[in-house]
Amino acid sequence: MAELSRRGLLRAAALLPAAGAVGSTVGCGGNAGIVSLRPTVRVAVTWSAGELQAFRSVLNGLGPREYSVEMMPFGDDISTALGTRATGRPDVVLLPRPGLVADRLDALEPLPPTVAERWRYARIWDDLLFHRGPGNAGGRQPYGVPFKIAHKSAVWYRTDVFAAYGIEPPRSWSEWREINARLIRLGRTPLALAGGDGWALTDFFENVLLASARDTYDRLAAPSLPRPWTSPAVRRALRLLGRMWSPQGALAGGARRCMVLQFQDALLEVFRYGRAAMVVVPDFAELVINRFAADPSTVGVFTFPAVDGDDEDPVPGPHAPPVVVGGDVAVLAKPSNRHARDLVTRLATPTAPLPWINPDGGRGADSRSTSHGGGFIAAHLDTPMTEYSRRLRPLAERLARPAGRMLRFDLSDRVGPVGSTQGMFRVLQDFLENVGDGGTDRVSAAADDAARRLRGVEDRLIEDRDRGSGHG
Amino acid sequence: MADTHGLLLEVAPREMTGPPVPGAPRRRTNRYLLGLPAAVLLGLLLAPTLWTVWLALRTDDGVGLGNFVAVVTDPEAVRAGANSLTWVVMAICLLGLGLGIALLSRRVERLWGVLLYVMVLPFGISLLVSGAAFRMIFDPTPEHGIASAAAERLTGSSPVWLGTGSIRFVLVSAFAWTWLGYVVSLFRAGLDAIPVDVIRTARAEGLSRLSRLRHLELPILRPVTAIVVLTLIVAAARLFDLILIVTPGSSQDEVDVVALRWWHMVTSSPDPGRPAALAVLLSVFVVGVALVGMRGMRRPWAIPEYPADGEAAKHRYSGRLERSASWIVGFVVAVMWAFPLLVLAATAWHEPAQAGAGGWWRFEGLGAESFVEAANVGLWRSLFGTAVIAVLATALVLTAAVPAAYLLAWGGLPRWLGRSLVVLFVMLAVLPVQMYAGPLGDVVDTLGLGGSRIPLIFVHAAAGLPFAMLVLRPAFASAPPDLAAAVVLGRTGQRAAFGSVWRRRRYRPALVAVAVLEFVLVWNDFIVGFLISGPGSSPLTLLLWGEARQFAASAGTVAASAVVASLVPAVVLLTTWKRVIRGLTGGALR
Repeated sequence: MAELSRRGLLRAAALLPAAGAVGSTVGCGGNAGIVSLRPTVRVAVTWSAGELQAFRSVLNGLGPREYSVEMMPFGDDISTALGTRATGRPDVVLLPRPGLVADRLDALEPLPPTVAERWRYARIWDDLLFHRGPGNAGGRQPYGVPFKIAHKSAVWYRTDVFAAYGIEPPRSWSEWREINARLIRLGRTPLALAGGDGWALTDFFENVLLASARDTYDRLAAPSLPRPWTSPAVRRALRLLGRMWSPQGALAGGARRCMVLQFQDALLEVFRYGRAAMVVVPDFAELVINRFAADPSTVGVFTFPAVDGDDEDPVPGPHAPPVVVGGDVAVLAKPSNRHARDLVTRLATPTAPLPWINPDGGRGADSRSTSHGGGFIAAHLDTPMTEYSRRLRPLAERLARPAGRMLRFDLSDRVGPVGSTQGMFRVLQDFLENVGDGGTDRVSAAADDAARRLRGVEDRLIEDRDRGSGHG
Repeated sequence: MADTHGLLLEVAPREMTGPPVPGAPRRRTNRYLLGLPAAVLLGLLLAPTLWTVWLALRTDDGVGLGNFVAVVTDPEAVRAGANSLTWVVMAICLLGLGLGIALLSRRVERLWGVLLYVMVLPFGISLLVSGAAFRMIFDPTPEHGIASAAAERLTGSSPVWLGTGSIRFVLVSAFAWTWLGYVVSLFRAGLDAIPVDVIRTARAEGLSRLSRLRHLELPILRPVTAIVVLTLIVAAARLFDLILIVTPGSSQDEVDVVALRWWHMVTSSPDPGRPAALAVLLSVFVVGVALVGMRGMRRPWAIPEYPADGEAAKHRYSGRLERSASWIVGFVVAVMWAFPLLVLAATAWHEPAQAGAGGWWRFEGLGAESFVEAANVGLWRSLFGTAVIAVLATALVLTAAVPAAYLLAWGGLPRWLGRSLVVLFVMLAVLPVQMYAGPLGDVVDTLGLGGSRIPLIFVHAAAGLPFAMLVLRPAFASAPPDLAAAVVLGRTGQRAAFGSVWRRRRYRPALVAVAVLEFVLVWNDFIVGFLISGPGSSPLTLLLWGEARQFAASAGTVAASAVVASLVPAVVLLTTWKRVIRGLTGGALR
């Protein structure tokens, strides 16, 4: 009851200044307040550029609404959209880190029953999104609806380069290493790496770790502290990764230049400038490739192979290819209004993302937007597979299958702040700088150091938390 | 008659006539009402500032310095502090460079007419835009980064400009590009104000050029120097958006500064104490610099009149050889300064795929599609929103500042009050946003105004008010002696005196300066919009920042938005710059 009346008070307070400003040209809620009195739902997204436009076409395809939608591009700082002191609070947040939902229950409102009743998503979402409310009141309810799912174990490659040397996509790590060595001998650079975007490095590492030590991956993803960062499995995965990155000529432009490349730059290295043959980036790379590839017919994609290790670090079997998954979930900021709830309900329909998946598919999209589509896999299980492009369809089908033994959520999203800029991003960037450009003999020491530093970040975090609990 | 420190002494050679002088002006209480709007606005800064101080002092066990100790011993905060200090030192070096160019510029009078505008243009452009331009120039990919392409062509390989080490060079270049024009034109205005006969006398006395500089020009320039030092050091200490847009994630730790560290602290930890302590430390430094700088603003001796444009300039300073050398320097500077603008414009006029993947210097793929794409991500809406915010904030500042400045100049306030108010204004004028952003943001949020433009307008107006007061007060106060005497003697009413001040053209430059600078600063603002209203309030700079997250791929959109965003402030600043300079130096220095 106290909660209700407090909310009512806040709403009344919100109306006061607005009432005063009605006469003037400025209303609240941004643009809509100026030209009309239509209510506005504000949606925070992490996307920019082409993805933002694609999402705009999704919103345009949602049918007639009695409110307007304003997009707020938060970029990498999307987690602040729900911050306790977040300013300019959005109504709906498309959270690229579903792991945050559990931490921010106090700032979120459960989804309307209309969504929960027609829940058709893969099982792996359940743990992330279903929670009891604050104070463990009531049953478990969904606090977010999956909108987009990302296949983070995709390797994009140049089919013409592979064909020219008679190379087949690798089925195991050792085959991949051989392919790399062969390409280097032939004077071609095998890999492009987006070291400027820390997540591109963590994705790579997570794939190796998941495929070489699934149990360790699961223990790291569990919420219990301390996590086994310095375990032999983590260090082995780092060493495998280091030996993949370290040979002279393995990375386009060298390690130092990789450090400032963003993921689009890395894609351009492969598909525009032809300076590398492969790049490990998720399915959403397709949107960029569609726009920038010099020759779209040379674009191929294979999935991350099973990791059997190399000569120094053999990985005991059985081996299976990893599938690392990410995604964006739509959550309702508290307190929500009926327009925001309506928007989330509409986004939760299987056909909602079609304009993004396939902008040319009979929805009357204008021809100009053709370059702003693709690179989207819907989380909803009923979204028709026939809409995907030839390249994405196998990836989408793999994700729609019941969660397999090797399908896991993005680790960097499960380990709190250790998985972000100051943690894994930073550590792996330094690791790359350490071992890159011929530092193969430094790999072992660098791997130990990186593992220790990850542990260090977490230790500091625990310290902070203990200090914080001393406050309350 | 003498005018020392605002006190007028006049020998009365004749009997004073006129109505008896009342002992005290009437309506003593009423006149304080003139300061009311300004006081309300300043409350918007003061209340959250005090709250931040309280947050910084509050610890687990009562009130203490625990948060400060934690900040000072935090290695990351210390590194950020050291970097910020380096920036301050760099800003002082920039000052020397600016003075040098200003001295040289007197020898290339005809070129100066162009050079002035080319150099000042970046000052009217958001730091975010200049950051974007420099990131394009130094892009690591030789296909679209001209610096990498040139280095590769010349030496076979290119340094990674945006990587560790050289990133500092890129940042400093962008900062210098933005600020140097301002420094040079203020110094130049100061030099022009030196009466020609003073220089002639000095030359006739046989003083060497160096000693003339030491004993004549530098002391006379002291007030200008103080203003420039003040602005530049404050800008360097508050640096935020430039680093955010230029630096790729992997190099960001290396160039971390205090303002950014504060932001990282706020977003990564729920404890408000430490960021508050850091904000207080930053503020103490900046305010300290400002208070020291203010003492320098007093003139060493009175200069009777501001000379008309170019009067001093007609004087010839040097021989032919020196003049041609100066021409070359001037020309090089002009080209260097125009270059980033060329990069932006050329990138904007390529279609997005070409702008993102090819070079702006190539001819294929020309077209206006990037502008279309920028419009698709909400450029026009942002443009409109920014215009509304900038115009209303400027109007609000003027409505509040003009009566308050009048009160301060002519209201007959007690001397101690006037002086402490000026000190207060100096402190508030340089106060970092971090000092009040947090609590203000919370209040805005609680009122349900997050993302709205109303709080932005008020916060901008409040933040701009102290500076407006500092410029307007002396401009109003420096009325002609006869008018001042008439008021003192009670012959003219205060309102009539103000009316007379208002009607005279001489006082307009200060008003123009305030209006133009406020408009341009608000238009180009990133940090206030970002911190108070969040990325959702859609001013132009926030749109730009959102697009720049995927830098290379959206180069076309970024450049097109940057060009459109820069047009209005650039035109406003360039068309009024001479009057702005006159308003700044003529008003604030007297």
